[in-house]
Amino acid sequence: MEACLREVLTRSKADYAEIRWEEIFRSRVVFQREQLLALEATEERGGIVRALVDGAWGLAVFTDLDELSKKIEEATCLARTAARHVRDKVFLAEVEPVEDHYHGQMVRDIRGIPLEEKRKLVQNYNKIVLESHPAIVASSVRYADSLRRVVYANSEGTYIEQEVPDVTLMLAAVARKNGDVQQGFESLGFAGGFEKALGHEEKARAAAKRAVDLLSAKPVKGGRYTVILDPDLAGVFIHEAFGHICEADFLLRNEPMRRVMELGKRFGVETLNVVDDGFIPGARGNCPYDDEGVPRRRVYLIREGVLTGLLHSRATAKKLGAKPTGNARAVSWEHEPIVRMRNTFIEPGSYTFEEMLEGIEYGIYACGAFGGQTEFEQFTFSAAYGYEIVNGKIGEMVRDVVLTGNVFQTLRSIEMIGKDFQLRGSAGGCGKGGQWPLPITTGAPHVRIRDVIVGGR
Amino acid sequence: MMEILELAQKRKAEAAELYEARTEALGVVFHGGEVEKVGSEAIVGRALRVILGGKLGFASTAGGAPEALLEAALGAAQHGDPAPFRFPTLRNGTKVEAFDPAVPKISAEELLTWGEEAVRAIRAEFPELVVNVYLSRTTTEVVIRNTAGGERREKRTGISLTVGVERVREGDIWLIYETQAVRRLVDLDRKGLVEKLLQKLHWGVEVVPPPVGKPPVLFLPSAVPVLVLPLTHGLSGLSVFLGTSPLKGRLGEQAFHKEFNLVDDGLIPFGPRSRSFDDEGLPVGRLPLVEDGVVQSFFYDLRAAALNGVESTGNGLKGGPFGDGGFRAPPGPAPRHLLIRPGEGSLEALMRDMKEGLVVSDVIGLGQGNIQSGAFSNNVSVGFVVRNGKVVGRVKNTMIFGNAYEVLKNGLIQIGGEPEWVGGSLYTPPLLVEGVSVVGR
Repeated sequence: MEACLREVLTRSKADYAEIRWEEIFRSRVVFQREQLLALEATEERGGIVRALVDGAWGLAVFTDLDELSKKIEEATCLARTAARHVRDKVFLAEVEPVEDHYHGQMVRDIRGIPLEEKRKLVQNYNKIVLESHPAIVASSVRYADSLRRVVYANSEGTYIEQEVPDVTLMLAAVARKNGDVQQGFESLGFAGGFEKALGHEEKARAAAKRAVDLLSAKPVKGGRYTVILDPDLAGVFIHEAFGHICEADFLLRNEPMRRVMELGKRFGVETLNVVDDGFIPGARGNCPYDDEGVPRRRVYLIREGVLTGLLHSRATAKKLGAKPTGNARAVSWEHEPIVRMRNTFIEPGSYTFEEMLEGIEYGIYACGAFGGQTEFEQFTFSAAYGYEIVNGKIGEMVRDVVLTGNVFQTLRSIEMIGKDFQLRGSAGGCGKGGQWPLPITTGAPHVRIRDVIVGGR
Repeated sequence: MMEILELAQKRKAEAAELYEARTEALGVVFHGGEVEKVGSEAIVGRALRVILGGKLGFASTAGGAPEALLEAALGAAQHGDPAPFRFPTLRNGTKVEAFDPAVPKISAEELLTWGEEAVRAIRAEFPELVVNVYLSRTTTEVVIRNTAGGERREKRTGISLTVGVERVREGDIWLIYETQAVRRLVDLDRKGLVEKLLQKLHWGVEVVPPPVGKPPVLFLPSAVPVLVLPLTHGLSGLSVFLGTSPLKGRLGEQAFHKEFNLVDDGLIPFGPRSRSFDDEGLPVGRLPLVEDGVVQSFFYDLRAAALNGVESTGNGLKGGPFGDGGFRAPPGPAPRHLLIRPGEGSLEALMRDMKEGLVVSDVIGLGQGNIQSGAFSNNVSVGFVVRNGKVVGRVKNTMIFGNAYEVLKNGLIQIGGEPEWVGGSLYTPPLLVEGVSVVGR
């Protein structure tokens, strides 16, 4: 493969060209109630070629490897067409050519586990969910694994082979009482083998219990509160609300936004530190080399409350005068690399949970993330569940907790950062520009924020 | 590849079905008013379903060998569950137009020119804005064949245009976009799309505080999915079987306002999702879901139909409720085109009638929250304030909350008279409602 790719690239007439060929193994087991909705094991292959000509990109996505040379020509030709229309040209930051191999660790290789064993595991979790409580009326238990084998080569001499394993598990329960339907779930994701999917029986029970508990929880009353986010939700917050606006690709041709995201600006309290890291052993967001063949770098996005870094591809690094950080990622061969996060987290601070509760007359303790979305500075995300905080103590359970606001104001309103910490992957992944689900992790300690808009009925 | 069905039978499978999609596409992307890339796609994707020993197996591949695909499907069937259905003999039904020969001829140069036109038109009125454009044309040939006999084959075309505009100021970043997905070149209304965008940009020059509490709320077509998304779950035959639909057991019941009519119409020629057959090869049709507020029917694919002891309604689409999963996803029940029957009145008239209230054009967080129960909670990313029947500006930091089932039963004030296509599958007029909570600062 190496010789073939290198040979084709030497014949390329583009200023720069790269080939990424992927072979992906995937399997999936889904139960809903007692129905087995999916049981699959699949292999697919496909590739993408990118060519840069005179400051414009041409791309070709294909599934027939025999057409590789033709596809390079096609991408080059498309780039040339685009170049006739471009004034603000794209240039790439320089990087050292790399030759390397990386194989993610799997104790039990997912390819070697019979579908029957995967089915049994999922069926058992499903049974636990369904039999936990009479109010549980439905379940959704999803197991998915994949091994993405990526061969990458570019016209500058870089050649990298990577194998990235990924295992996810979604345990969800639906409880119903008098027409009211509530859901509880546990969402898990790992970079590893089948072993990572084992031993989550307690999580299955917890998901079911939460769905049942939510039936008797009261809807939160909408308003502005001091809120404590649990590490789950705080991690999702920093990813969704802040991490995405640090992705420099949307600053590339956006002068006004570059002024908003100027390095050196104060974004929050001095104890606030936010990091995006390309490699933490076992973490689902690991990306030793990105899909432009750039080695990972650890980036401090915020250090002591001040914006100190952004996430880059080679093109954005060149434009903004930074070093590439290894954040150009693609979900699969169907897509080009775009700037994405990896393992993104708030570093722990100094407060205990009890200290954080002190002095809150009435507030909300928001836990777990049901989903989150952001549109630049605007964010909204739903907590899976929550509790009232009354006179510094955890009170009754509440539901329908949706938080929204402006990320800049909200970062400035962070009052306390806990000393605990948790980094986790989830069963979903990050979505951007039609590319989903990208494996990432999010992490944080407990975080206390004042003046958060909490929606409710 | 078609021999794979015979191979499957040689391997003792009682039945098998092959789905094949050949996609060729060309697209351009503009960021900040500048061309960023031009890209092509040539993808052959296949999916195989087999029934072996009465059990169902599914597998898919791109670029893989037929033997491997068959092995994977048989392997899945061995450990699968009994197939509750049989593949039907495939017969030609009503042809629904979905192919325009002009589409595959659209060149990269043309797409680039259209993109530049859109950028120029926006900048002529708002030179300071960041304009992004996504344009693509796609041709897909789908072939379905199964061991019960027959074959369905169809070419479908599509063009999609999205124009997004960013207004960036310190402390006020606003993103607004319009999108169009059509099957036919003559249906692409590039000028109309830009005009709609400009209208909203003009409305949004000033930022004003939102009306809070429970003011009248006017959902523009682009925001109606907030109310309809929970229904695509609730009206699915699979949700009914699984017991997660609040509409389960309520056929014939007045579950919605008497003015509310919803049809799943697969027969619209050149509709954005038009096709002569669903992804299981069955002819599509026209299925009234709600008439005068009364629940008439649920929609089914082969599996959901068999589980409920009814016939498939030709709603087996790949990739669940949005039906956009491509070759990789197994089919599941999904609507084809959802149509909300229009009432009367222009948008201006609706605003005049509402006097004071909130107009919602776009939200973030669609589908977030407890969809099954109908609950929605969304940040209003594009919304306007109406005072004395006129738009006075846009809102910021505003959320809406409510329950779609409740709003569509007790909160419907008026259904507008001017429907539009939204998100490729919904054709709806604006809806003026009450009973939605609005929170803001």
